[in-house]
Amino acid sequence: MEILKTLVERGDLGPARARLRTLARSETDYLRFATLCRWHDRLTARDPASGEPGAGDPLRVALLGGASMDLVEKPLRLALEAAGLATDLFRADYGVIAREMLDPDSATARFRPEVAVVAPTVFDVSTWPAVGSSPEEAAEAVERVVDEWLRLAGSLHDRVGCDVVLNNFHPLPTRPLGSAGTRIPWDRNRFLREVNHALAARAPAYVHINDVATLASLHGVLRWFDHRFWYHAKQPVSLECMVPYVRSMAQVVGALRGKSAKCVVVDLDNTLWGGVVGDDGVEGLRIGEGDAVAESHKAFQSYLKELGDRGVILAVCSKNEEANALEPFDVLPDMVLRRADFAAFRANWSPKSENIVEIARQLNIGLDSIVFVDDNPAERAEVRRAIPDVRVVELPDDPADYPLALDATGWFETVALSDEDRVRGRLYRENAQREALKSETLDYEGYLESLDQIATVGVFDETSMERITQLTNKTNQFNLTTRRLTRTELERYRTDPGKLGLHVRLADRFGDNGLISVAAGHLDGDTFVVDLWLMSCRVFGRGVEHLMANRIAEGAARLGAARIRGLYRPTAKNGLVAELYPSLGFAAVEGAVGEWVIDLDDYRPFQPAIRVAEPANGVESDE
Amino acid sequence: MEWNPMSDGAAMEKLTQVFRDVLDEPDLRLARDTTAADVDGWDSLAHIQLMVAVERAFGIKLTTGEIANLADVGELLDLVVARSGS
Repeated sequence: MEILKTLVERGDLGPARARLRTLARSETDYLRFATLCRWHDRLTARDPASGEPGAGDPLRVALLGGASMDLVEKPLRLALEAAGLATDLFRADYGVIAREMLDPDSATARFRPEVAVVAPTVFDVSTWPAVGSSPEEAAEAVERVVDEWLRLAGSLHDRVGCDVVLNNFHPLPTRPLGSAGTRIPWDRNRFLREVNHALAARAPAYVHINDVATLASLHGVLRWFDHRFWYHAKQPVSLECMVPYVRSMAQVVGALRGKSAKCVVVDLDNTLWGGVVGDDGVEGLRIGEGDAVAESHKAFQSYLKELGDRGVILAVCSKNEEANALEPFDVLPDMVLRRADFAAFRANWSPKSENIVEIARQLNIGLDSIVFVDDNPAERAEVRRAIPDVRVVELPDDPADYPLALDATGWFETVALSDEDRVRGRLYRENAQREALKSETLDYEGYLESLDQIATVGVFDETSMERITQLTNKTNQFNLTTRRLTRTELERYRTDPGKLGLHVRLADRFGDNGLISVAAGHLDGDTFVVDLWLMSCRVFGRGVEHLMANRIAEGAARLGAARIRGLYRPTAKNGLVAELYPSLGFAAVEGAVGEWVIDLDDYRPFQPAIRVAEPANGVESDE
Repeated sequence: MEWNPMSDGAAMEKLTQVFRDVLDEPDLRLARDTTAADVDGWDSLAHIQLMVAVERAFGIKLTTGEIANLADVGELLDLVVARSGS
């Protein structure tokens, strides 16, 4: 919201509009959504043209409500734009659906919509089965109601040629017949279910049912419908559920116009499975049965599999060594998804936005067809910032909620499934194998700046030793020597005069990452030898290694060293840092494999995009 | 009900903030005798949004009659103080 305000104040209306769409896509709270609607009004007033997400004239959409649509209109307008549609929205007077759809001279007919969104409520059901109706009589009543709505839709369609999006009926919040109603033909909830079934079964190709019934059930009918505001002002839906209501309508319209997403790009560590494969190893991952977190991740894989089965393309984008990323798919029996389920698989250390651009190119789909799922908010922010067209799921903290969060977006809404949908995944996977991969440079520096990173650098101290010991003994990837040391051994870097231990804590605008990097070394003559240097994979590529290098150089100088010697000991998992020392300006030591050296006079400090806070434990005090 | 100027003042402050947010009027001031007619934008639609926002801010539920028949801000204030205090 702050970014949006800044953009509007600066007069950057196009980017402001894009930001607004991004916010509106994932906002679920009505009052905040209403605030976005006001920004939408202001932006539209200042520059109507900037609301144009694609080429061509705006889509003409008519909204016909059985109830008051006054509070629905603006949220729907914004939801349509968030779904990728520039629209010209016309709201008919309420309570006159039949006349608007039948009368060739109605305001709706004169508007000539391309899509009519018809939103009746249960109060628009004209016929209910009489008390004591037989099954046949109840069935006749069902047919009468269905005939009525399909005749209205047909009338408007025949006259102006529009598609019709028709809301079905959510259950009533009372059930005077109780559970017995399931067997009684004139039970009203049973009747509404039959109407909904028949509407879907009999709808012609130009009528698209918006399944309000299921949506209201998911949210809870008692929450969905607020009687007080029905009696007071004929509100069709509670304000609490206004956003899912309008979003659902907008997404069916969007699906009609091909605006639905085609591909979901997922992260691996702590997304598809619990744990970090590079650090915890395949055997340490949590996926499968017998552990609640492991089951949660398995359920998420199952949900993705269901998406895949209906034609959504699956792809992987992970910061990992490729071999590490692939291994779980081959060796873990509880994985629901297999390598063959993914049309693209990118595991490397480049920014995720670059990888997603590459996936889009490889699959030959637009960035606006891609949904990105990652548990790490910093990665989500990087993608949002670099490639705003990609839809980013605001993933909750609990993996058990992942399927719900992805499902609730409605971004894969479709109006029909074709045979091709069923095999699309395979087609894309085959295409993927034909494509060569290229790299793409995006504005990564800007992303780092936007993170507002703030670090605290300290020497080893009593309060940090436990975490330092833990990190030293579990970090595999960014770990130059992979030396495992006991707390006692590590204490020597705190107490011995010729030794130095450093740690870095990093926070950013998403929160505190805690203590994420450790380095330690000793003085050997006039050479400072780096015995240990490691960093949590959570903060790869953020510039912490440059900050640490600077501090190692300063610390070595304080100890009176003239040069620094660094060691790299290769393991199966630390290929990431094989070239770290040369990238910092160190030169290979002749005749010594994996040893690098630099004179302190030649060391040029880096300028990482990290602000350094005052050290908590007086790192400078021994100067 | 006992007159409690502190809690009334705090409630009025909170109520004013809710009205400012919903009506998008950052300088709006409310008094006990303020009515819908006195406030720009406080129409029947805004009224629904206001009532929902007040319910959420104070963690209370208003009845259909209260929503429909509020005379002025003072009445609303008394309601939220009485109900959120209990």
